[in-house]
Amino acid sequence: MTGEAVVEIRNLAKTFRDFWFRPLAAALRGIDLSVARGDVFGLLGPNGSGKSTTIKLILGLLRPSSGTVRLFGLPPRDRRARVRLGYLPELSCLHPFLTARETVRYYAGLSGLDRRTTRERTDELLARMGLSAQANRAVGGFSKGMARKVAFAAALVAHPELLVLDEPTSGLDPLATRDVKELIRKLAADGMTILVTSHQLFDMQDVCSRVAILSQGRVVGGGTVADIVAKSTDPRHALEDYFAAAVGATSEEKA
Amino acid sequence: MRRFLALARTAALESLAEPLTAVLFLSGFAVTHLAPAFHYHQFGESGRLARECGFSVLLVFGLVFATGAAIRTIGREIESGTAAAALALAVPRTLFLAARLAGVLATLVLFAAAIACATALAHGSSVLAAFARSEHGTSAQAWGPGLAAGVGLTLAALMLAAAANRFLNARFCRTACLALAAAQPLALVLAALCGRDLPPSFAGFFAGLWSLLPAFAALTVGCAVFVVFAGALATRLGASSVTAAVALAVVSAFVYPLRAVLPDINRFWLVDRLANGGVLGWPEVLPVLAAGLLLIAFWLAVGAILLNRRELP
Repeated sequence: MTGEAVVEIRNLAKTFRDFWFRPLAAALRGIDLSVARGDVFGLLGPNGSGKSTTIKLILGLLRPSSGTVRLFGLPPRDRRARVRLGYLPELSCLHPFLTARETVRYYAGLSGLDRRTTRERTDELLARMGLSAQANRAVGGFSKGMARKVAFAAALVAHPELLVLDEPTSGLDPLATRDVKELIRKLAADGMTILVTSHQLFDMQDVCSRVAILSQGRVVGGGTVADIVAKSTDPRHALEDYFAAAVGATSEEKA
Repeated sequence: MRRFLALARTAALESLAEPLTAVLFLSGFAVTHLAPAFHYHQFGESGRLARECGFSVLLVFGLVFATGAAIRTIGREIESGTAAAALALAVPRTLFLAARLAGVLATLVLFAAAIACATALAHGSSVLAAFARSEHGTSAQAWGPGLAAGVGLTLAALMLAAAANRFLNARFCRTACLALAAAQPLALVLAALCGRDLPPSFAGFFAGLWSLLPAFAALTVGCAVFVVFAGALATRLGASSVTAAVALAVVSAFVYPLRAVLPDINRFWLVDRLANGGVLGWPEVLPVLAAGLLLIAFWLAVGAILLNRRELP
C-alpha cells in the first residue's frame, strides 16, 4: 500500500426520490471512506445497508444528494478516471446472444483497446478463466459460475488500476468461490487496487486487507483485517464477530 | 471510434439475433415476392400492386422493427444492467445512445435495401406478366422466373441458416436474417439472367430498382426517425409506454402544431408520385431526407439529454 487514495469519499449522502421528488429512502447518510492504492478493500454490510449504492456513486451511475466522491482525484464521471477502472456488476450483466469471446472483445472495444491487444487479452483471459473450450458458445447457455467467469474476464480485459467487484461470489458454489478468491489474491499480488462488496464474511476475511462496515447508510466500523484478527479471541471468526458487534450495536441504537 | 463500433456492432448483432427480426425479414420478403401472383388486381396500372406492396412492407414492418429494436437496444439494456456495466467504463452516455441506435439503423438499412431488391423483382415480374397476358393470354411463364428466383432463394437462405446452425453452431436468427437479405439481390440477378430472352428485357429489373431507390431512401429515413424517436423515449419509459407513444405519434402527427417535432411518416411516403408512370428523382427527395436527418438529430439530442440526466440504480 502506497497511501495514495484511489477512491476518496467525503460526507456522501444519497436519498432516492419518487417522481414528485418526495424522499423514498435514505440509502446513505453521510459516509467517509478512502481506498488506498494496492488495497483490497471490503465494503461489508447487511442487505439494504448501502453497499451497492456506494459502488454506483463511485462509478458515476448515480448522483450524490450531498458530499463528494473522487476517483483517482477526479469526479467519477470524468472519462480520465473511468478509463482506469474495471467493474464486475452484482449480477453478471451479459448479452445472452454473444459468445464468451465476443463478450470479452465487446468490453475490450468499450475500453478502446486496439484489435491486436484485444485478441491477445481475450485469448489470455479466457485461458486464465478456464473458458477456452467454451469461448465460442453463447453466454446465455452458461451456468452462473461460468457467466461470472466471463464477466470477470470482461472486467479485467483493459488491465484496470482499480477493480470494482459487486458481490463477486454471489450465487457461486464453493469451488467457484474458491477460484474467485484465488483470482482476487493473485490480482492483489500484482498490485491491483480492488474494491469489493460481499455478504460472505469468511471469504472477505481471506482476501481483504481493509474493510468498512456499512449499516443503515452509515459506516459503523472498519479497519485493517490484520488489526481485527489480532484483537479477536477467535481469529477464524474475527471478521464475523466484529461485523455482528458493529451492526448489532447500530440496530440496538436504532431500537 | 472503437467504442462506437463495439457498441454499434453489438446492437446490430442483437437486433439480428431477435426472432422477431427474422420473422419480419422472412414474411416481408415472402409477401413481396408473392405479390405478382395476384395479377388480376393491378389498381389500374400493371405492377402497381407489387410495387406498393414492397413499400407497404417496409413501412409497416419497418415501424414494428423500429419500435421493438429501439426498446430492446436501449430500454432493455438499461433494465438488465448491461447499460450500467458499459457506462461504468469510459463510455460517454451520448456515444452509448448514438452507437446503439446506429447498430439498429444498420439492420434497418439492410432490410430496406433487401426489400428494395425484392420489390424491383416483384414489380418487374408483374409488369412482364401483364405484358405476356395482353400478348399471349397467359402470364404464368412471364412471372415464373421472378417468382422462382425470389421464393426459391428465400427458401434456400432459410435452409442455409438451418445448416449453419446444425453444422457450424451459428445462431439461426442472425444467420437467417443475413442470408435472407443477401438472397434478394441474388434473386434479382438470377431472374434477370434466366429471363433475359423474355420480352420486355429483364434488364428492366435493374432500371426499375434505380427508379424505386429515391422513394425507398425517403421511407427508410422515415423509419429511421422512428428508431431514434422510440430509442430516445426508451431511455426513460418502459416498453408499453414507448409503444403507446409511437402509436400516438403516428396518429397525432396529422395535427399541425405537432408535425414540427413528431415524426410524421406521411412526409416520407413518396410512393404515390410513382403512380401512372410518374418519376421521382433525387432532387425531389433530398429535402425530405434533410428533414428526416434533422428530426433524427433532434430526437437523438432529446434522448442524450434524458439519458445523461438519468440515474442507473
